[in-house]
Amino acid sequence: MEAHTDRFKVTAGRELKNELSQIFLSLLPPGFTILRQIGMSSFPDPESAVEQARAIRAEVIERMPELLEEFERNAVSRGARVLWARDAREANDIILDIARQRGITYATKGKSMITEEIGLNEHLIRNGVDAYETDLGEVITQLLELPPFHIVGPAINVPPEEISAVFLKKGIIKEPTTNPIELGKAVRVYLREKFRHLEMGIVGVNMAVAATGTIVNVENEGNIRMTKSSPKTLVAVMSLEKVVPTMADAVHMVRILCRNCTGQKMSSYVSMDTGPRKQGEVDGPEELFIVIVDNGRSEIYRDRETRDVLRCIRCGGCLNTCPVYAKIGGYPYGFAYSGPMGQVLNPLLLGIEETSDLYRACTLCGACRQICPAGVDHPSLLLTYRAREVSRKGKDRKVEKSLAALVTLGISRAWIWNLGVRIMRPLFRRLAQNGNITDMPLGLKGWFTCRDLPDMPARTFHERWIDRRDAPLPERQRKKEV
Amino acid sequence: MVSLFIPCTVDLLMPEIGTAACELLEHLGEQPVYHQDQTCCGQPLFNVGYRDQARRVAKHFIEVFGRDERIVSPSGSCVSMVKHHYPELLSHEPSWYGRARELAGRVFELSQYIVDVLGVTDVGAAFDGSVTYHESCHVLRSLGVSDQPKKLIGAVRGARYVELNNATACCGFGGEFAVGFPEISQALVKDKATNFLNTGADVLLLCEPGCLLNINGYLHRNHPEKKAMHLASFLAGNMKEA
Repeated sequence: MEAHTDRFKVTAGRELKNELSQIFLSLLPPGFTILRQIGMSSFPDPESAVEQARAIRAEVIERMPELLEEFERNAVSRGARVLWARDAREANDIILDIARQRGITYATKGKSMITEEIGLNEHLIRNGVDAYETDLGEVITQLLELPPFHIVGPAINVPPEEISAVFLKKGIIKEPTTNPIELGKAVRVYLREKFRHLEMGIVGVNMAVAATGTIVNVENEGNIRMTKSSPKTLVAVMSLEKVVPTMADAVHMVRILCRNCTGQKMSSYVSMDTGPRKQGEVDGPEELFIVIVDNGRSEIYRDRETRDVLRCIRCGGCLNTCPVYAKIGGYPYGFAYSGPMGQVLNPLLLGIEETSDLYRACTLCGACRQICPAGVDHPSLLLTYRAREVSRKGKDRKVEKSLAALVTLGISRAWIWNLGVRIMRPLFRRLAQNGNITDMPLGLKGWFTCRDLPDMPARTFHERWIDRRDAPLPERQRKKEV
Repeated sequence: MVSLFIPCTVDLLMPEIGTAACELLEHLGEQPVYHQDQTCCGQPLFNVGYRDQARRVAKHFIEVFGRDERIVSPSGSCVSMVKHHYPELLSHEPSWYGRARELAGRVFELSQYIVDVLGVTDVGAAFDGSVTYHESCHVLRSLGVSDQPKKLIGAVRGARYVELNNATACCGFGGEFAVGFPEISQALVKDKATNFLNTGADVLLLCEPGCLLNINGYLHRNHPEKKAMHLASFLAGNMKEA
């Protein structure tokens, strides 16, 4: 998908003023977080359950290459065809070719972040193969041509009036209605027609089990199961990190994923497919293609400093706990992935240069790291990207770099520091009124949009300490009051 | 022997917090020392991405504090910088890494030191009014310090403790963040201030100078009658004369 990460500040500013977004954001993240807590408390020992999940993800990222090969062997032995795609273009072309070779005019799709990342829908549609999203939220965002507001609930912020209007326009409903049940029913009827004549289905993968070659999908609407079981040809698209060692690991990760995602102990549907329909079986696709997409991940994997990004299981827990996401929603991040998981992943997929706002728009509060069931340390990764940006850029940060050099010199030698204090104080004093500064020129302006700053006091702590030490003994008692 | 590690924000803008920390420790029978060679822990440089520079600053800090038995600071984020990020920064220089690791175990946030090391919860303060407490991100999530300040507050005679809604939510400071993303930062600090006002408490207590600059800066502009206060200032200011 096309990236708009360079418009972060503009879009964030717009969303902060969007009343509807603000209402949803004041309810959703806290709501999800409460549901998550309720869900997690159903584990006999929630902390151990998270530890186990983190350990599974740690093993995955240690053994990823061999696990992927094992998965391929087992999937192939059960009749699946495994195709490797180096990047988005290769993946899109592989899937388009599969459709073309079979004379397919349309495909239905299960919700999948990797297909959003590579822009599969756009590619298929541009080349004459219609791609219909079947997850309710994805149907709405596709029709409205909106990016996802939340990785789990992409259209969760769209009001019924807007849904009604676009459904009416596309002929999904005949009469306008804002009744969610009627809107949902209309989509079911509309999609059922697509499933009835379906030749090709495309789904993502939540877990790919290395030991068995099974693909596991988690969903709540039954649309993925329909997409998997209706067509002759099924294409499952996965990124490298979806692999897990064993079925037991997959099952634990499903339990963790559902609880962290929507607070459910188990989603309404979990489907596990091992190869296509075999002789004597009554349903399932006749052929199964599994497209394993790299799209920059090998490089992320090779780099020890960034590898941990691949732990992510896309539960969305970090979005719901992030103070910044809770104010601006998913649009400003400008790509398929938003919130903390997007802030750590997008810069690696799109480049450090184009995504500066993503890794700087963070207070380093650590709420995401604390909640992450996969063991991603988001703040450390963001700090790494910041350091890489600083060390890469030459001219762009010239003033800042000179300032940093000056500050470093001052910090490393106390006498320069104290000299600096003596130079700064009159400058501060000039700006202050009644002991407070309400505005400052240059780079610090942002502070003063809503805040004041105290003036520098007559004596720093350092000077107070010297005053105290030098004072005669009775005086020293008095100075204690300072 | 306990050594005072005074954050630069405290030294330059809020020295009364340093004085309060010093008084508290003296009141509890300690004789704190203050190394005049100390400057800043380098956290701002590190957070913006200036690692080489932060490394130099870390070495300066280690030189200055390296021989102290115990180091105490009225800032969770500065302690976290020394404890967690110094070893990480110096991981490629074995001898410095060793010194950083060894130092990490001797650095304490002030309330943590008073409660966990000195074993004191009642410092002998009294306050006729209501108070609430903001759980600063680094104090809570980086250091796991939460019970200690609450115990100290709980022991203040006369003080009525009111729970702060969303106490663990970030106040929107984030150093560079507050300047670089002022609109988002404003939305966050506004929530924090609103939650504080809704408690009806007389004072909002916290253990982090960064949050204090942010929250008090906002309150001063928008609700000048209310204020946040560092726990050290609150305790020292309300101590009965021994």
